[in-house]
Amino acid sequence: MKTFLNAVKKYFADFGRAVAKGDIWCKLSLIILGAGYFGRKQIIKGILMTALEVIFFLFTGLFSINYIKDLNTLGTVQYEAVFDPLTMKNTVNDYDNSLLILLYGIVGILVILAFILLYISNMKAVYRLQLMKEEGEHINTFGEDVKSLFNGKFYITLLTLPSIGVIMMNIIPIIFMSCVAFTNYDMDHMPPNYLFTWVGLRNFKNMFTGGTTITFSYAFVRILAWTMIWAVTATFTTFIGGILLAKLINHENTYFKKMWRSLFVVTIAIPQFVTLLLVSKMFADHGIVNTWCSNIGLTGFLKDIGLVSGNFIPFLSKPGWSHVMIILINIWVGVPYQMLSATGILMNIPTDQLESARIDGANKWQIFWKITMPYVLFICGPSLIQSVIANINNFNVIYLLTSSTATANMAFANSNAKETDLLITWLFTLTNDNSNYKMASVIGIISFVICALLTLLSYTRMISGDKEEVYQ
Amino acid sequence: MKKKVLSVLLATSMVVSLAACGSKEETTDNAAGGSTAAATETADAADTTSADDAIANLIAATEGTVDIQLWCSELESYQTVMKELTDKFQEQYSDVDFNITIGAVSEQEAKDKVLEDIDAAADVFVFADDQVNDLVNAGALQEVAATYTYDPAETNSESTVAAATKDGKLYAYPLTASNGYFLYYDSNIFSEEDVASWEALEAKAEEAGTKVGMNIADGWYVYGFFAGAGCTLSMNEDNSNECDWNNETGLAVAESIENIASSPAFVNVADQDAITMLTDGTLGAYVSGTWNATSFQDQYGDGYAACKLPTFDVNGTATQMGSYAGYKFVGVNSHAKNVGWSMLLAEYLTNEESQLEIGLATAEGPANLAAASQIDSPALAALAAQSAYADQQLVGSNYWDPAKALGQNLVDGAADLQKVLDDAVAGITQPVAE
Repeated sequence: MKTFLNAVKKYFADFGRAVAKGDIWCKLSLIILGAGYFGRKQIIKGILMTALEVIFFLFTGLFSINYIKDLNTLGTVQYEAVFDPLTMKNTVNDYDNSLLILLYGIVGILVILAFILLYISNMKAVYRLQLMKEEGEHINTFGEDVKSLFNGKFYITLLTLPSIGVIMMNIIPIIFMSCVAFTNYDMDHMPPNYLFTWVGLRNFKNMFTGGTTITFSYAFVRILAWTMIWAVTATFTTFIGGILLAKLINHENTYFKKMWRSLFVVTIAIPQFVTLLLVSKMFADHGIVNTWCSNIGLTGFLKDIGLVSGNFIPFLSKPGWSHVMIILINIWVGVPYQMLSATGILMNIPTDQLESARIDGANKWQIFWKITMPYVLFICGPSLIQSVIANINNFNVIYLLTSSTATANMAFANSNAKETDLLITWLFTLTNDNSNYKMASVIGIISFVICALLTLLSYTRMISGDKEEVYQ
Repeated sequence: MKKKVLSVLLATSMVVSLAACGSKEETTDNAAGGSTAAATETADAADTTSADDAIANLIAATEGTVDIQLWCSELESYQTVMKELTDKFQEQYSDVDFNITIGAVSEQEAKDKVLEDIDAAADVFVFADDQVNDLVNAGALQEVAATYTYDPAETNSESTVAAATKDGKLYAYPLTASNGYFLYYDSNIFSEEDVASWEALEAKAEEAGTKVGMNIADGWYVYGFFAGAGCTLSMNEDNSNECDWNNETGLAVAESIENIASSPAFVNVADQDAITMLTDGTLGAYVSGTWNATSFQDQYGDGYAACKLPTFDVNGTATQMGSYAGYKFVGVNSHAKNVGWSMLLAEYLTNEESQLEIGLATAEGPANLAAASQIDSPALAALAAQSAYADQQLVGSNYWDPAKALGQNLVDGAADLQKVLDDAVAGITQPVAE
């Protein structure tokens, strides 16, 4: 923290020194960015910097300022259109579009921030040029500058595009989405016809005080619990299953190793989307599996011992049954992935350790539990945490398997939920069916915070720098 | 340092190009607004001569290519017939250069897709009647303030026009009036007396060893029982619901539904699973709509028949089931780039000849009365018989999940029905979250 503050202090101190000690060219650069370069005969660079400055002021003054000034209200003039039957055209007023105001407002502010950074570093750069000139050092020509971008400073050339991509694809959407959580953007406030505006923390309050549905707290607690159970169980069952399968295939008495491996990989090749939908059809109340079960008498047997009440086995349609089925199906879908990564790890276990254990008289189980598993766990730890997080948000498996079933629990139903819903699928139905963007954003922020915390914790605990040598 | 300059330069140029797009769009908007503002004069659009004038004016005022995007169902029959119709439309106005693209967005999804981004949505789209309310509330539909080639209010059945109207204003062009449900049955098994009531239907099915089905765990279908017995469900201004299904009549209805569902011959199955059972040959009768007509026709062959929904027993009286009527409309996007041409295309797609063609191609019943009388099918006849008991679907979104769970409870044979009904009504009538 202290080093950070010092860095900030130095950053501005350098700027102050540049302004104070700069000569006339440096001082001119405060107004015309390129001046400092013109003074040192770097004409092209000077022109580029000045052009950037002009473009910035044109962009901000003519375009983004119109949106930035409305950011505090997100617009006041509502869309109005009058249809003229004679010309068959709509006469539209000069209306505000809250969505565009928010989006371009954010872009405009980011551009201003970027310009301020550019402005400060430009000042320092021209001051450095002044010093170089005073000490008689060589000052690069434009051609030499460009050349250095492809030689010594090639990393900057390489990183430019990804950085722009990250800003456009990640930073701006994330800022935008976070802002929406503090507005009333929903079905009744849809741009372009209607305006939405800031509502402060109201959406968060609604979310946490259970004002969203009449049985919100009932459903929330239960769904949260199932989400956690699911995430942990799903992760560990596929993990253990994957390792056992990999061990089995790697076993010296297993023939056709490659064939087995390829067969399991084939299940990965088919998109989950397809397999899951197919499986949900197979296990439907009147699906093919139920037909088999009733033909071989299994349904009748289960009915006799009181496990089933209807004429079919409710594989995916009754709580309990569906919870177990979902985890089983997930094992089937997820194990091949874990098997692949486990195969790689098992093949790389240091053989000297295995050998010395064998010489010391350890049997196969002891070797597996005392050497193989700790090693695999050590290697897989971070990825396990990662898959727990992924499973918290495992929308596909849950939604595709159970979206067509109905709950019989009125308290769940009154909150648009089902027993098998994860937080993510529940919130999807809560918001998606009602174009409720504001709540979707609130949820987005919350799940982001949860996942970020988990990731940070696990990474700092499990692979903090020096741990690499700890396992021996 | 120089590299930072380069990256900032690149970033700036991208932002500038973004800005250029934005401002260009705006200027065209303003230009369009300006030119029409000057031409605003009172005109009697109902007058045919001025309607012709308006079209002539529009043709004269049109420059360049007119881009219109049309969204309709992804079904092949729909896509094909719409392509034919738009081709004919282009022939009719051959002076104008059109570029009409047809996208595949089903009627059910139209609202969600349109509301994602009204500006980017199709200019003309086909949608189901339950979306009128939300689409109008979001301002996505261009009001049908004037018509030019025919008057939808006169040629279509009254109930369809009413369903496309909100607050006294017509917002869409009626296309089909066959989106409701009725009973399909195999007349080789069931006689006309058998299909008159659920009790007789199930008795016969048990005897014949076949199954009869309906998707009771679905608010859209379960409504039929309660509505038939006179229970009410309606929507308030703020999209919350009013519902009295937990009164005495409601309780009797719920008991009756449990009775029906408890028969060994009854299956509670959703559409797709029902078609699976049908092709297996185990489903003798099923409550569904015109979209499944071909499946039932293929399976039942010469036994293929359809009729209005059966009666069911409430406190000893045979009560006719109600249902939701369903319609499909053609709507014009209020932000369409060429509102005039979009409206003319929507009119063209919904005039008598087009509705007849669409009806013949898709087995759906036209909303246009003259066109409807020219199509004859058992499914449409059954739908017409049911229409006397069918209601327009006006319900807030809080209805669906509680109603679905209510249906599931009735199928499961819940013991404490009064409590289930009370809970369901509490969920259905819960306030709309802000």
